[in-house]
Amino acid sequence: MKRAPSSPFLRGLAAVTFASLLALGCDSPEVMPTADGRQNTRAARIEGSLVVQSSARGNAIVFLYSADALPPPQGSGRPLAFTVIPAAELFGASLGDTSTGPFTAPFALSLVAPGRYLLRGFIDADTCRLIPQPCHVPDFNPFYGVTGEPNAGDVGGGSVDPATGAARILEVTTDADGWPQPLTGVSVSFGSTATVPFDRPAFQVAESRDFDTSSATSKVLTLTPQQFTGAVDQRPPGFWVQLVDANRDGIPDDANADGVPDFWPRVVVRKLADVPGVVDENDLDRNGLVDAEGVDYARVNGGKDGKPDAVVLAAGLAPDPLLAALLDDQGKPRPQPVFVPQLTVLIRALAVDARDPAAPAPLTAVPPGRYSVTLLQSTGQTWRVPNELDPVLAEPAGLPGVASQAFVLEVR
Amino acid sequence: MTIPTVFRRGALLALCLCATEALADARLEARRHFRNGMNLIEQKQFDEGIAELEEAYKIKPHPSVLYNIARAYQDAGRLPEALDAFKRYLAANPPDAASVQAQVARLEATQQAASAEAPPPGSTPGTTGTPGSNLPMPPPPPTSIQAQQQLAMLMERLEKAVNRAESLTANASPQPQASANAPASNTANSSDSAQQGDTSGDQGFVPYEERVVTASRRAQSSLEAPNATTVITSEDIRLSGATTLPELLRRVPGADVMALGVGSANVSLRGFNQRLSNKVLVLVDGRTEYQDFIGLTVWAGLPIGLEEIDRIEVIRGPGSALYGANAMLGVINIITQAPGTGRRARFSAMAGGGNTVQGSFVSHGQNGALRYRASAAYRQEDKWTRDYASGRPDFALRDEDPDLGTRGARGNLSTVYTFSDDRSVGLSGGVHRYNTEIYPLGLLRNYSMDALGAYAKGDVELGAVKLKAFWNHLSGTAGPQYEAIGQRSLVTNIASNVFNGEALYARGFELAGEHQVNIGVEGRLKRVAFGYLDGNLREEFHAAAFIQDEWRIVQPLRLVVSYRVDRHPLLDKGQPGIAQSPRLSAVFQPMEGHAFRASVATAFREPTFLESYTRLPVPVPGVNGVSVLTTGNRQLRPERLNALELGWRGESPRLGLDWDVALYQNTVKDLIGLSPVQRLPAGETYDSGSGSYLVGRSLFTNENAIYTARGAEAGINLSPIDGLGIKASAAYQHVSSDLPEEGQCGPCSQAPGFRLFGGITYRTRKDLEFGVDAAFTSSTTWVEREPAATDPTRVDLLANNLPAYTVVNARVGYDVAKDFASVALMGSQLGGGHAEHPFGNRIERRVFATLTVTP
Repeated sequence: MKRAPSSPFLRGLAAVTFASLLALGCDSPEVMPTADGRQNTRAARIEGSLVVQSSARGNAIVFLYSADALPPPQGSGRPLAFTVIPAAELFGASLGDTSTGPFTAPFALSLVAPGRYLLRGFIDADTCRLIPQPCHVPDFNPFYGVTGEPNAGDVGGGSVDPATGAARILEVTTDADGWPQPLTGVSVSFGSTATVPFDRPAFQVAESRDFDTSSATSKVLTLTPQQFTGAVDQRPPGFWVQLVDANRDGIPDDANADGVPDFWPRVVVRKLADVPGVVDENDLDRNGLVDAEGVDYARVNGGKDGKPDAVVLAAGLAPDPLLAALLDDQGKPRPQPVFVPQLTVLIRALAVDARDPAAPAPLTAVPPGRYSVTLLQSTGQTWRVPNELDPVLAEPAGLPGVASQAFVLEVR
Repeated sequence: MTIPTVFRRGALLALCLCATEALADARLEARRHFRNGMNLIEQKQFDEGIAELEEAYKIKPHPSVLYNIARAYQDAGRLPEALDAFKRYLAANPPDAASVQAQVARLEATQQAASAEAPPPGSTPGTTGTPGSNLPMPPPPPTSIQAQQQLAMLMERLEKAVNRAESLTANASPQPQASANAPASNTANSSDSAQQGDTSGDQGFVPYEERVVTASRRAQSSLEAPNATTVITSEDIRLSGATTLPELLRRVPGADVMALGVGSANVSLRGFNQRLSNKVLVLVDGRTEYQDFIGLTVWAGLPIGLEEIDRIEVIRGPGSALYGANAMLGVINIITQAPGTGRRARFSAMAGGGNTVQGSFVSHGQNGALRYRASAAYRQEDKWTRDYASGRPDFALRDEDPDLGTRGARGNLSTVYTFSDDRSVGLSGGVHRYNTEIYPLGLLRNYSMDALGAYAKGDVELGAVKLKAFWNHLSGTAGPQYEAIGQRSLVTNIASNVFNGEALYARGFELAGEHQVNIGVEGRLKRVAFGYLDGNLREEFHAAAFIQDEWRIVQPLRLVVSYRVDRHPLLDKGQPGIAQSPRLSAVFQPMEGHAFRASVATAFREPTFLESYTRLPVPVPGVNGVSVLTTGNRQLRPERLNALELGWRGESPRLGLDWDVALYQNTVKDLIGLSPVQRLPAGETYDSGSGSYLVGRSLFTNENAIYTARGAEAGINLSPIDGLGIKASAAYQHVSSDLPEEGQCGPCSQAPGFRLFGGITYRTRKDLEFGVDAAFTSSTTWVEREPAATDPTRVDLLANNLPAYTVVNARVGYDVAKDFASVALMGSQLGGGHAEHPFGNRIERRVFATLTVTP
């Protein structure tokens, strides 16, 4: 066989063509996360629609809570995340009118880890567009306790079971490969029937802040409403009290079976961390959950358990004045809440670890230190002293300083 | 070993075996032959000496070599060969053509006379020279006084040339020069010639000396440069196998090259590298490629390709005294081929790993006094790695092609019309449509940019005066490649237009020594429309003036005094203010081939538009209702550098060796960075524009810390035998600060302590070329901002360790058909997988093959 003639050029061309074909990579680049923390996490999302039926106008705020740390009034959980759906996006052309909708808009909560969740929210309404003073302009601010909850006129909402009206527990699951699965089509409803009737139970304390547990077995605090205007606008006419009737059977609940019915609001006296500001002890990240590491106290039963404690003092409202207001002449509960001008709080020299709220564990001694006082309404609205209106904290935050809000219970 | 690897290695071997014929650093080799030849001629070994000169000329043609060949033949009494060489010299149209022509006429007359009369017995050719001189023998005594004066002048010039006379400067004309015109006119021509893209790199009077134009804005021997200077020639580029500009810069001592993606690299000099590296001024033919709106050189967006580059000059050290803002740590001047100096057509195609496809075309031509260079190219390459997979439930990929790392199509046209030796008009323009990655600052991560870049430039040369105007345009969209689903998008639009005009004047004169003065004024209008800016459209006008005097006090000592003042609209606490940049350098050349330099200089970097005007709420990951507000600051001071440098540059032509050693201390203050997140007043936390609450504000501020960088750099180029080229460099640096804790000093831990580079190229005489180089970078620790894992609304500074890495590239080239076609196989990143920044791609090996045809 005669060999075909070949020039150096043809040989070279053949060589480079051959090399090119071999060198040509057709594979897609490999997925290889860098040191960026976000690339090394696996998360999903919760998304769906808001449905609003209300004449209120304002941004919709949707909070994501862990089902293991329910928000007030069921628990003391704080939101893990939240999103804002601007009023213009939600109400569109109806932003300036008083129509009640329904209005819908998409929402999404990004980078949600696998787990069980609860969605709550409210319309941060501008009530001044409908009613004269007293009214609220949109004033939600998530970064301060004194501005982070709904006020009178805001419209509450959440993801609820349409049949029962109960809050839905949403679960972000994972697939066989461990990838979280997105939760889509979630509906969050807001309606006029859930309009918040009153402002938060802002209060001030009349008594001194000292509580010497070596010489006194209890401490009495008298709370009276505190009103603010401006950046923090709270004008509670009094304290909105009612008997607790969780199962709505018409019979007041008595959870501790002491013969005295339970009341709304509730009062919580919790130990503060020994750090500047108003941070609960063992909740330094302020997520409402007890930190993994922290201070542990000896329990009456079993001593120290090696876990950080959520120390609260045994406290409650003085029942007599409330019962007088809440029971009719026949001693039957009144169907509606009533306002009272002041509350009397009885605090005992007894500390418990409330890490598990359902089974509080008494401690052997009352840990000395600073304690906060929190009022919790049936609407989930709360107020706590001390708070960011403490003049020391208020100025750097751009908030008006109010001396009464610096109150702290000093336990010795 | 995998099958593809086997085949790839087989292909490489196949290329080697196919080779039939092939040299390294042509300049060094040619210089070595030239010097050896001149020495032999001095020793009256004319044949051997002339052969060496011919070899030098063969390796790298230089008209002065022809002149010296002609003189050698003349001294040897071989007039026909001398006449032939003189005529070859005259064919290059040298400026001294008239006098050489006269000499030719005399020689021809002598030859005729000699042919009519036999030489006297016992006469020995070539014995009329001056004993001990380094020069060829002088011609026979002229018959007229005028001719005698002309020859005396010519001798003086040539003597200066060979001994590297200080006053000689290159002519801006692309035509090769062998002897001098009047020094004054030459000086004017050479001033700022770098900005016109001339090819004066080897076109000085002294054959094969390395010449630079960036250090003093005029052509000069690199020995005379007041700064540490590194030159990367087109030959270096070709032999390196590098496919990108940043890859080439790894060979520069002191250069920090940090590739985060195939199209995204950050380059700094002597430390202070970062995402959005902003302290080195990058020029293309004197036109800035620094993107003022953000403070970045978009390397993948440069409108030129490697195939169009004549050489790259890197000034390591402050350059603000001549170039103003942003030439803080150095200047990288990319000089393209002068129009009309190359082949009429050159096609090149490349393909390889990562779906890499590249094609380019470059054409040079001339029609009378009009010369042009036209080019067009396309390139695409996939990323090395991807950060996120497709179809994730949490992150969405924004790009249509998430695999694509870079893609672009570009075209350029550069023309020059020469009216006379020192009068010309140049017009050039180009456009580049491209897509690439960039890595912004702070909490922002991997961005992609889909952009259109364009420029137009005009140069007018009127003797000692040069006028230049250019327009730079960049428009398109930019945004994160990956965004959390449901989170507000940060994709935005950019439109940047920069209009620049400048005038330069150069003149030499005698006053207590020889002076060479350069004076320049400049005005620049910047109009930037950028979605991240407060107010979207911003406009600034900058003005500057500079003067430089190079004063040769005595023969071996020169002082270079430079001063520049820049007017910036915000530098005086938000009002127009000035920045002054003085520099004083001394260059001492006690013996031929050695230069010692000392320099004291200041430099600055002006605040970018991003740093001055930004208002960008950056979504907090996982909390869609919250943003961190990043804001600009109009009260910023410029970043400042005070530098001390000592250097020694030397050469040993007979060994084919060049070296440069530099010691420096840079004191840097007022670095601009993002402040820690500061809480906003309660009444200012809702941002209606983004529909989110602002957890706080991080604004650009001047740091209080003072950083001190000390270092040493050394580099050698060696070409000991024909075909073999060796380049090696080493750099050590240490950055410290006055911060109380070392861990707080990001620039300290982010600067690699050691960098080493070594490269060998070998060209056989059988058309085969080999090249391999390796660059080592020591480990670093990068301090970067990240949202806290437990509370994403809190921003933490996290330290990320980056191990040491070595980048290895190799190339095998083969001339398939001499002066017609060549092929090459190139291996990139052969050192194995590594990352050059904690957030950068993991860089992987790739192999490319190229075919170049020059019909």
